[in-house]
Amino acid sequence: MTLSQRLANWARVKSPWITVFNSGACNGCDIEVIATLTPRFDVERFGILAQGSPRHADILIVTGPVTKKQATRLRRIWEQMPEPKYVIAMGACGASGGVFKGLYHVVDGVENVIPVDAFVAGCPPRPDEIIDGVVACLGLLKEDLAHGGREWRQKKTVVIPRVEPKLPEVVA
Amino acid sequence: MMETSLKVETVKDALGDLGTVDAVRWNRVKVTTTVEKVREAILRTQSILACDHLVQIAAVDNGKTFELIYHLSGPHKMVVALAIELPRDKPEAPTTSDLLPPAGIYERQIHDLLGITFRGHPALNRIILNEDWPANEFPLRKDWKMDPNRFYGGVHEEAK
Repeated sequence: MTLSQRLANWARVKSPWITVFNSGACNGCDIEVIATLTPRFDVERFGILAQGSPRHADILIVTGPVTKKQATRLRRIWEQMPEPKYVIAMGACGASGGVFKGLYHVVDGVENVIPVDAFVAGCPPRPDEIIDGVVACLGLLKEDLAHGGREWRQKKTVVIPRVEPKLPEVVA
Repeated sequence: MMETSLKVETVKDALGDLGTVDAVRWNRVKVTTTVEKVREAILRTQSILACDHLVQIAAVDNGKTFELIYHLSGPHKMVVALAIELPRDKPEAPTTSDLLPPAGIYERQIHDLLGITFRGHPALNRIILNEDWPANEFPLRKDWKMDPNRFYGGVHEEAK
């Protein structure tokens, strides 16, 4: 690993830049994110910086069940982010659709659109839980740097051979 | 009871020949008119009754017909509601976007969600539903049910 890469990795771990995307949330989660950024919790003392553009961000926080209209936009925003990138799905809606699950205009959860690294539970989650989610992503980032990529934690698909059930022979 | 400067009698004089006028609340008058006369009613409400503000266009699916209710107001704080009914098999109404410029965006929304066509609208495009939503599916109609085998847009399977 070259010195410039080590310097970049050190900076990434010490100061993650986050961007927030509302994919159809009720704004409860967004208000909690704002509470996280404002002086009471003041995440900037940990180096966490809110970034307007996804092209400058390391961590994408997605709030809300993804509406069908926002799904393609969310996908496009995620594709604009530079590697290494991490996604936090926020709240009950981000995990499963929440109270909006099964409606005609939602796709039920962020994981149906983009791969998610951390889920933060709650409706809405408290600011300290959001900070905890970001810290969990930083832990993943460190592990990924040690393993040289994110492939080590991808689930291996095990193909189970299908066994045809044997019916008992009918005795006439 | 409070009073507004626009009297119910004035509304009756202006719009009485276009439909029935009843004072449903102290600051609200409902005028039940027909599709053919609604543009004339809006013109008279604007000129005679000094209503320069479109509050909203309400669209109701009551099971048998569609109802459109144009809520207009003005400096007198009285709301004049012009109600029309549309048949379910041919839901069409003349556009009012040339008389009331904000009506254009309401009409696009009603066309999107309830499938009511507004004749003469300059651009009756989708505004609320996603762009790849199938045609002739109107989710706010009471008899609409989601078809579980149909693709309604959003994430394509291969993109997952």
